[in-house]
Amino acid sequence: MSSAAEVAPAGADESSTLVLEGLVAGYGGVIALDGVSLSAGAAAITAVLGANGAGKTTLLRAVSGMIRPRRGRVLLGGADLAGRNPEQMVRAGIAHVPEGQGVIAELTVEENLRVGMMSWRGALRGPAVPARAGPARAANSRAERTAALDEAYERFKPLADRRRKLAATLSGGERQMLVIARALLARPRVLLLDEPSLGLAPRVMTQVMDLVVQLSRENGLTIVLVEQNARAALAIADHGVVLNLGRVVASADARTLAADVTLRHHYLGF
Amino acid sequence: MVEFLQFTLSGIVFGMIYAAVALIWRGTRLLNYAQGGMAMFTTYVAIEVIYRTGSYWAGFVVALAAGIVLGAAFQLTVIRPTMNKPPLNGVIVTIGLLTLLEGLAGILFGGQYRSFPAAFSVTGLKIGTTPLGVSRFDVFTAAAVLVTTLALAVAFKYTTAGLRMRAAAFNATIARLSGIRVARVLTVGWALAGLIGALAGVLVSPSTFLYPNSMDTIFVFGFTAAVIGGLDSPVGAVVGGLLLGIALSYVGGYLGSDLTAVVALGVLVVVLMIRPGGLFSATRVRRV
Repeated sequence: MSSAAEVAPAGADESSTLVLEGLVAGYGGVIALDGVSLSAGAAAITAVLGANGAGKTTLLRAVSGMIRPRRGRVLLGGADLAGRNPEQMVRAGIAHVPEGQGVIAELTVEENLRVGMMSWRGALRGPAVPARAGPARAANSRAERTAALDEAYERFKPLADRRRKLAATLSGGERQMLVIARALLARPRVLLLDEPSLGLAPRVMTQVMDLVVQLSRENGLTIVLVEQNARAALAIADHGVVLNLGRVVASADARTLAADVTLRHHYLGF
Repeated sequence: MVEFLQFTLSGIVFGMIYAAVALIWRGTRLLNYAQGGMAMFTTYVAIEVIYRTGSYWAGFVVALAAGIVLGAAFQLTVIRPTMNKPPLNGVIVTIGLLTLLEGLAGILFGGQYRSFPAAFSVTGLKIGTTPLGVSRFDVFTAAAVLVTTLALAVAFKYTTAGLRMRAAAFNATIARLSGIRVARVLTVGWALAGLIGALAGVLVSPSTFLYPNSMDTIFVFGFTAAVIGGLDSPVGAVVGGLLLGIALSYVGGYLGSDLTAVVALGVLVVVLMIRPGGLFSATRVRRV
C-alpha cells in the first residue's frame, strides 16, 4: 500500500492527511468494517470501491462519527479522533456528505447554506488537530459569514438565483451542488463524499465529478469518494481502495486498479 | 354585537395559544402529549404560589420558570434515551408523562375545579356608557399571546438559534454532520415548550377553571391547528391557529360548547381532503 506522501503531490499539507488504522465498526451483531487501514493524502482523491454491502458507507460513517468505531484509529494530521461524535468531527475538519442528496427540503437554499456554517461556533474538544497550512480558521463574525455565503454563490451560480426557494424545489444536480456547497462552508480539510453521482443524469454527473476534481486540485481538499460507479470514480481518482466484506482487498494507484482486469471483474463489475 | 366581540376576542386568544403550540412543535418534531400536562401542572404551581404569597406576579413568574425546568428535565431524563429510537417511542413516553402529571396533580392539589385569579380587573371596559364586553384582563391576555406568538414565529424564521432548531428538527443527521449539537437544541426546544405551556395555562385558566385534565383540549386543538396550517409553515401555524380558535369560539358561543370538538374534527377532515399537506404546506405531497 502506498503512503500518503506518495499519493499527494509535492508540498501537500500534511495536517490534512487522513489515516485510518485497523478500523472496526458495525451495527449490533454485524461487523460491517473489519480492520480497514488506508491513507488519504491532501489534495488527492481516494476512491473507495466495492460491491453493495462491502462496507463503503460504513467506512465514511465511522470516520465522521455517525457510528462509533469499535476499534482502530482515525488520524487527522496525526491526531486520533476516533470515537468523536459528528458535531466534533466537523469542527476538527472532517465534512461528510451522506448518500441521497441530503438537503433539508423544508429549508430554503440560503438556510441550508447557513446550516453549513453552524460548526464555526463552539470549540473543538479533546486532542488538538495540528493547524493547517494557509489562512487561519474563519473569524465568527457576521461579515465573515456573509463573505462565505457570497463566495458559495459565486462558485455555485445556479444556487444564487434560487436562494429564497425551498430546497425541495431544486433538481437533482442542484441538490448535489447545494449539499457540497453546504459541506464546504464548514471549511473542512477532509471531504467524505458518499455516492455523489447517484441518481443524476450522465451530463450532470460529469459536472459533479469535475467539481470533485476541482475541489481536490484547486482547494487542496483531502477527498474520500465512495462510488458504486467504479469506472467513473477511478477516472478522476488518484488512488483507489477496494473493499470486500469489510476488508481491504486492493489498494493502489487508480490507473493500476483500472488496468487490473481480474480485480475489475471480481469486485468492480466493469 | 357585544357577544360577537367577546367571542371573537376569545377566539383570537385561544387561536394564538393554538398557534404557539403548533409553532413549538417545530422545535422538537415530537407529538408532545406532555405539553398539556406541564401547562396544567405549572398552573397549579402558580395557584399555590399566589395563594401563599398573595402576589399574582410571583405566581406568574414561578409558573413560567417551572415550565422551563420541567420541560428541560423531562427531555434530559426520559426523552433523550428515545432519540435514536423510532419516533413513536418518544410519543408514547410523552403520553406516560401526561398520565403521571395528571395523577400527581390530583394527589398534590386535589381533583376538584379550582378558579384561577386574573391579573387585572375582569369587569368589562366601557366607552362612555357602552359596554364593550371586554375586560382589562382580556386585553392583557390578548396582547401577551399576540406578542409571544409573533416573537416565536419571528425567532424561528429569522434567528440563528431558530434555524438551528428547525434544522435539528427536520433532519437530525444533517444537522449533526453540520456541527449542530442536536441533543442540546432539543433540550432547549422542550424548555420552550414548557415555557409556552405555562404561559398558556396561566392566561387561559381564569376563564376556564383549573383541574387535572383542563389543558388537554387546548393542546389537542393546538396540534389540530398545526396540521390544518401545514406542519412545516410558521405562517400556517399562526393562520391555522387563529382560524380554528375563532371558528371554535363562535361554535361554542352560538351553538353550544358540546359541538366544538366535532367541528374541529370536521374542519380538519375537510382541510386534509382538499390540501393533504395543510393550508400553507410548501412541500408537495408525494403520490406513491
